[in-house]
Amino acid sequence: MSNSLTSSHSLTLAEQGRLGAPPTRRRVVAVTGAAQFLGSNLIGLLEEDPNVRKVVCLDSEAPTTAGAKSRVYNVSLTEASAEERMAEILSAEAVDVMVHLAFLDSPSHSTAFAHELESVGTMHVLNACRRTKVHKVVMRSQTLLYGAHPTNPNYLSEKHPLRARRSEPFFADKIEAENEVLRFGRPGQGRIATVLRIAPMLGPTVDNFVTRYLSHRLTPTVLGFDPLWQFVHEADAVRALRLAALCDVPGVFNIVGDGVLPLRTVIKLAGRTTLPMPRSVASGFTTALWLTQFAEAPPAFFDYLQYICVADGALARKELGFEPLYTSREALIDYANAQHLRDVRLLSETPA
Amino acid sequence: MKRKDKRPQRDSSANDRNRERQQARPPARPAKSEKRGEGRAPAPNPARAEHKGPSNPKRKARRTGRNREHAAARPEAPRLHLPPSSFGPSSSVIDERTAAVEAGLGDTEIDSEEAFELGIGARVVPPTTQYGEAFDSAPPSTHERKGDVEAQIRALEARLDGLIRQRHFADATTETESDEPVSERRGALAKTDSSPPARLEAAEPPIEDFISRKWGRSALRSRAEEFDDFGLDPSFEQRVKPIVEFLYRSYFRTTAEGIDNVPAEGRCIVVANHSGALPLDGLMLRAALRIDHKQKRDLRWLAEDFVYYLPFAGVFMNRVGAVRACPENAERLLEKESIVGVFPEGVHGIKKLFQERYRLQRFGRGGYIRLCLRMRAPIVPCAIIGAEESSPLLYRLEGLTELLGLPYFPITPTFPFLGPAGLLPAPTKWRMRFGEPINLDNYGPEAADDHVLVGRLSERVRSSIQAMLDSGLRERRSVWFG
Repeated sequence: MSNSLTSSHSLTLAEQGRLGAPPTRRRVVAVTGAAQFLGSNLIGLLEEDPNVRKVVCLDSEAPTTAGAKSRVYNVSLTEASAEERMAEILSAEAVDVMVHLAFLDSPSHSTAFAHELESVGTMHVLNACRRTKVHKVVMRSQTLLYGAHPTNPNYLSEKHPLRARRSEPFFADKIEAENEVLRFGRPGQGRIATVLRIAPMLGPTVDNFVTRYLSHRLTPTVLGFDPLWQFVHEADAVRALRLAALCDVPGVFNIVGDGVLPLRTVIKLAGRTTLPMPRSVASGFTTALWLTQFAEAPPAFFDYLQYICVADGALARKELGFEPLYTSREALIDYANAQHLRDVRLLSETPA
Repeated sequence: MKRKDKRPQRDSSANDRNRERQQARPPARPAKSEKRGEGRAPAPNPARAEHKGPSNPKRKARRTGRNREHAAARPEAPRLHLPPSSFGPSSSVIDERTAAVEAGLGDTEIDSEEAFELGIGARVVPPTTQYGEAFDSAPPSTHERKGDVEAQIRALEARLDGLIRQRHFADATTETESDEPVSERRGALAKTDSSPPARLEAAEPPIEDFISRKWGRSALRSRAEEFDDFGLDPSFEQRVKPIVEFLYRSYFRTTAEGIDNVPAEGRCIVVANHSGALPLDGLMLRAALRIDHKQKRDLRWLAEDFVYYLPFAGVFMNRVGAVRACPENAERLLEKESIVGVFPEGVHGIKKLFQERYRLQRFGRGGYIRLCLRMRAPIVPCAIIGAEESSPLLYRLEGLTELLGLPYFPITPTFPFLGPAGLLPAPTKWRMRFGEPINLDNYGPEAADDHVLVGRLSERVRSSIQAMLDSGLRERRSVWFG
């Protein structure tokens, strides 16, 4: 199969229009957090993409999907020399696009490490890009950063301020990193910054705090509250990242699946039982569980069990040409199927 | 998924058709199969001798894991390890297509080699030798947990492959009939074919090789039907419908005058007065358009913020059709050409005391006028008479607001003295009067920024509703009988 044929095959029409004629010089894409879930899958996808010449994988371990096009480098963003080393690699490989995915998917107890990785690490990455004339950075962010509030509109647009609790380091670090990236891409400097705010990911292989929350037999909820949730399928998230890496569209985009589901329906579709708790009891309870490392999320996430935090994916559809393959419901069902196999130990593979 | 489908089917030794159905849906209710396995001892069953499948799926899965990379290259690769999504999203489709499957489509023998050549789910095709006949003759025992689930999965895979092949062939034939010769057709669902672009776009988005290998075929594009974008739950609404209709027809004996002023189609904003310690007017307004309007139009009303802070109330209002009042939501609703019910008085409307009844409070900052100007929607003024007396507010305690999250604590003749039952509204006679639509089309969308104009238009709407209220009150002879 010739390359040109593949290229016309593997892109949707909207994507083709966005990409225009295949660039004369095929791209070199660097991926941080390459061994993580999104990173390794994105590398798998880019390996097959004819528009990509080389994939530079930057992480402290090697991604399993690295293939013929990949160059794997051992880089740790938490080290002081990270910027120096990154700059060397980026200039040696003549990287065009930096896809920055080195963020924690789930809240962590080691907040100091998380801060070094996410906030300071982003600074290292961006400085290395500035030094080596990498003109484009794509960053993975989350729709959770909008925060769950009863005063949210049903669909949050990209213009809406990020109102997640700053007291929770999980949100604060990511908001800081996002601001740094947007500063990098400020107009007039000839640089492009694309931020993808991705909804909570579900799917057969992904592992994050949402999948762990839904994997409990008894799933705690708040009595009298049933907020609408939305998900994106892991494959869609990876496709969106590829699209953002290959199409030069600056800006912030929400990457979400179609449709919304109330939390109780989500739990029922996942085959679990809800454990409704009064708000006063539950907040103390979740704090205790988090401190004893039994809960997957700190008390700040309690808001998401009460109030709505749903983003509008219309802009990504219009400007980025991103069409999700799965709706929220399908992503959930896809996850639930795999989880059930895991429950009966038919699927031995641990989630990524 | 329909409620009916979720009901577990207890009897696994029922007739074949039943069994097929059950096998087709393990992912929908695997909790059950798990429970079943735990309930009884998972002892090996001698009757399962005929089943020639691998005895230890776990070991098998591990083996597959090691050379996962090459699995795609071998048609006879162990099935168990396929990405679960390959039967995931489509499992919902199974339910819809059970009829088609039973009509024989699903029973087609799958020739694994042929399927492999076609490129359809090369890893997913079950070898006929392993369980084809044996499986049909010996129903999988419920005692052997792993074997049971495994068999179900295999049956499901076979069925799905049949479906997909059928579907692909159907697509291929229709396309070849209608259009240019297709030379490059590779037959793979995962691959997109080189058919004309318009067709390509109309069909499902093409999937990259890596995606289809890792996550299987893409989901068939279907919307989540059960909930609309704003959280209205049609099945829940169906359940409360008798109560709402009872309130509307028998309890309040509502008459809707001039309801034809609400346009039969297209976007529209209904502006009404707000009242009552327990505001039922939004719900009744929705019922009025559902029951008495010729086109049975669907109205969504905008509810105040404080409702969404409250447990139960917020969820209830959301499920029966209320939407939080904010410009983003209203614009989105109007873009979908629906009718939006607005109570511009807001909280001030429902906290006015009995002696202030039917005196319209200030109309906020005229956000609804701006909305009309921007979205080019007509305004239908509406006066609701009778609602103010159904739960008259004698006094409001403001001190408890912080504690309860309510804008006020209502004291009515019956509440809180009769407890929660005191919240029941009095059976007054309700009258809804819909006025002539006010069209603001002669102002451009840029007029929305003209504060003076917005204030003037808002006052015009307010006075027209006040006039309708006043004339209605003059005509009314009795609070209870109208």
